[in-house]
Amino acid sequence: MSVAIATHSTNPALLPANNKKQRSIISTTPWLFAGPAVMLMVIILIVPILLALYLSFTNYSLGAADFEWIGMENYERIFSRSNYAKMFTSTFIYVGVVVPGSIILGLLAALGINSLTIGRGFYQTIYFLPVMATLVAMALVWELALHPSIGIINRSFEIACEIPILSGFLTLEWVPFIDSSATFFGRGCVEGFPNWLGDRDTALPVLCFIGIWQAVGFNMVLYMAGLTSVPRSLYQAAEMDGVVSPWSRFWLVTWPMLGPTNVFVITITAIRSFQSFDTIEALTRGGPSKSTYVMMYALYEKGIKQNLIGMAAAITIIFLIFVFLLTTAQRYFVERKVHYS
Amino acid sequence: MAKLSISNIEKSYGNSSILKGIDLDIEDGEFIALVGPSGCGKSTLLRIIAGLETHDGGSISINGELIDGLRASQRNLAMVFQSYALYPHLSVFENIAVPLQMRFLNGWQRLPFIGPFLPGARKNIDNIKEMVRNAAETLDLLHLLDRKPGQLSGGQRQRVAVGRALVREPQAFLLDEPLSNLDAKLRVHMRTEITELHRRLEATFVYVTHDQAEAMTMADRIAIMMDGELLQVAPPYEVYHNPTNIQVAEFIGSPKINILNVGQDNVGNLIIARQIVPFTYPHATISKLGVRPEAISIVSRPSHLHGKIAHWENFGAEAFFHIVLEGLKNRLIVRGAPTLIQTHKIGDEVNLELDLEQVMGFNADGARLNDRFIAKTRREVA
Repeated sequence: MSVAIATHSTNPALLPANNKKQRSIISTTPWLFAGPAVMLMVIILIVPILLALYLSFTNYSLGAADFEWIGMENYERIFSRSNYAKMFTSTFIYVGVVVPGSIILGLLAALGINSLTIGRGFYQTIYFLPVMATLVAMALVWELALHPSIGIINRSFEIACEIPILSGFLTLEWVPFIDSSATFFGRGCVEGFPNWLGDRDTALPVLCFIGIWQAVGFNMVLYMAGLTSVPRSLYQAAEMDGVVSPWSRFWLVTWPMLGPTNVFVITITAIRSFQSFDTIEALTRGGPSKSTYVMMYALYEKGIKQNLIGMAAAITIIFLIFVFLLTTAQRYFVERKVHYS
Repeated sequence: MAKLSISNIEKSYGNSSILKGIDLDIEDGEFIALVGPSGCGKSTLLRIIAGLETHDGGSISINGELIDGLRASQRNLAMVFQSYALYPHLSVFENIAVPLQMRFLNGWQRLPFIGPFLPGARKNIDNIKEMVRNAAETLDLLHLLDRKPGQLSGGQRQRVAVGRALVREPQAFLLDEPLSNLDAKLRVHMRTEITELHRRLEATFVYVTHDQAEAMTMADRIAIMMDGELLQVAPPYEVYHNPTNIQVAEFIGSPKINILNVGQDNVGNLIIARQIVPFTYPHATISKLGVRPEAISIVSRPSHLHGKIAHWENFGAEAFFHIVLEGLKNRLIVRGAPTLIQTHKIGDEVNLELDLEQVMGFNADGARLNDRFIAKTRREVA
C-alpha cells in the first residue's frame, strides 16, 4: 500500500483521479481492524449502561406489562428519603474504613513478610487464605463466632472475666486514672458482651473488620509484588548516602517507589469495597435498622427482592458514577505523579 | 583524603570461593582501576570496601584505621553505581542534597513543611544549598537542578550520580562500572571527564570496569583480577609492556596479543609453526611466545617467518593484517602501515620479522620468563 501511495504522489498526472479512492481506503481500514473490539464493547458495555440509564427514568418492574416515564423521580427519592441517606452513610463509612485499614495493614504485612528470611511462604499463605476462601462460607464462620451467647468471641471474653489476672489486664486496672468498670471490658463483664451483628452500633464496625480481614491478604500480595520491583541499588545508594534508620529509608526509597502500586491498590480496594455485598447478605441483610444498608445490598433489595427495576437502575447509575470518578482519579494520578520515567 | 589498605580479603558464597585472599594498598589520591572479565569478583571486592557486603576473612583499613565492623554509611565512602541509582521522585538538586541532609540535619529538621522552621535548621539548609550549587557547578549541572532524573540523558544522570558522590567530600570514591550504560561515543567522552575530575579533586578513586581500554586510559595503576585473585597491580605502561602472566597479557591490549606455541631445536633455535626463527632463549622451559601486533612487522627483505594475508582492517592511521601461518591454528594479527594495503592483495605471501625487544616468553604455566632473547647471526643459523 505504501508503495502505491508513493508512486501516485510522485506522479502528478495520476493524482486527482486516484486520490479520493485512496483516501476512503485509508480512513475505513482502521475501523475494520478496530471493528470487532468496538462492537464487543458496544454490545456488552455501552448498550447495557444506556439501557440502565433509560430504565432509571421509568417505573419499570420486571414482568409488568407496561411502564411509564417518570423522569427524575427515582433520583429524587434517592436523594430525599432517609433510607437512602442511610445507604450513603453506611457505604461511605464502610469504604472509608476498609480502604485505609486494609491498605495500611496490607502494606505493613508485606513489609514484615518481605524482611523475613525464613517462613515467607507460610505467612504469605496465611494472609492470603481469606482472599481464596469463598466469602459466603467465611461469613457463616463469622456468624457463628460472633453469636452473642454461643459464639467463640463472647465465650472467650466471658471466660477471661473469670480469670482475675486476665480480666485485670483487659479492664485496664493497671493504667492509672482509668475507671476499670467503665472500660469496654469492665462493662462487658457485668452487663454482658454486645450482640455484635444484632446491635445498630456494632454491626457496621464488625462488617468493616471482616472487610479489612478479607482485603488485607490481597493488598499484601500486590504490595509484595511492588516491593520486589524496587531496585536493590536504590537501597544501597541510600545506605551510602547515610540513610541509616529503617524509617527514613522507607520514606526516601520504599514509599515513593511504591507509587504506582499504591494507586492501583487504592483504586482496586475502593471499587471492591463499594461492591461489597456477600457478607452483608449473609450476616445482616442491611440491618439492624438499615445500619449496614450499603449500596450493593440496596440494589439487590430493590431490584431482585422488591422487583423495582427502575429504582435499582437509578442506584446502579449512581454507583457507576462513583466507580467512574475513582477510575478517573486513578488515571490522573498515574499519569501525573507516580511514574517517574 | 585517604589511603586504603585491603589485606587478605576472602569471600565465598556457599561452596564457591569468589575472593581468594586479596591484598591491595591504594595510595592517597590514587586512581586505581580494578579490571577483569565478568564474574572475577571485582564488583564484590568494591562492595566489600563500600560495606554493602560482608567479607569472610581479612581486613580493610582507611588511613590505618580498621573499618571492618563499620556500616557502609559510617565509612564515609561514596559510590557511583552502574545503574546510577538516582532517586527518581527527587529533582537533581534534591538527589545531590540527600547525603548532606542526612549528615547536617536531624530527623526533625528533615521533616517536610515544619522542618525548615525548627531551630538551627535554616542555617544548615542554606549551607546545603550552597554546597549543592558548588557541586553542580563543578559538573556543569546548574541548568538541570530542577529536573527529575527521568528527564535527563544517560550522560547527565551519570554526572548527577557523581555529584551526589562528591558533594559530601568522602574519603574515597568507589565507581562500579559507571560508564557501561552509556553509548560508545559518550563513554569515551566521560572517560576524559572523570579522569579530569579526579585530577581536580585529588581524591582516591577505585574504579571497577571490565573494559581494559577504560582501565588503560584512566587509571594511575591497574589491578587485574581473575577468578578471585589479583594477577598484577601496576601502572598501565607496565601492565601492557611487562605483564607478569599470560592471562594479563591476553586481557590487556586491543587487538589481543598473539600467543604462539614455540619449540626449540637441538641448537636452541626457536621453532614457530614449524618454521625455525633465528633466535634462542636461555630458558629451556619456554613454551609460549607473546607477540603484540606492533612487535611483529611485514618486511620486504627476506626473513625467517612467512605467512599469507587472509584479511585486513584499515583504521586509517594504522592497519591490522590477519596473517595465516601454516601449521598455526590462530591467525597472527600484525600491525602495519595502511600503505601496505596499496601494494598487497589478500592471499599474498609476506615476510615477517619479530622485534626481539618486545617479544615476551612464557612457560607452560603461563608465568612470564624475564630473560632476553638472543638473536643469532645469519651464519650461525645456517
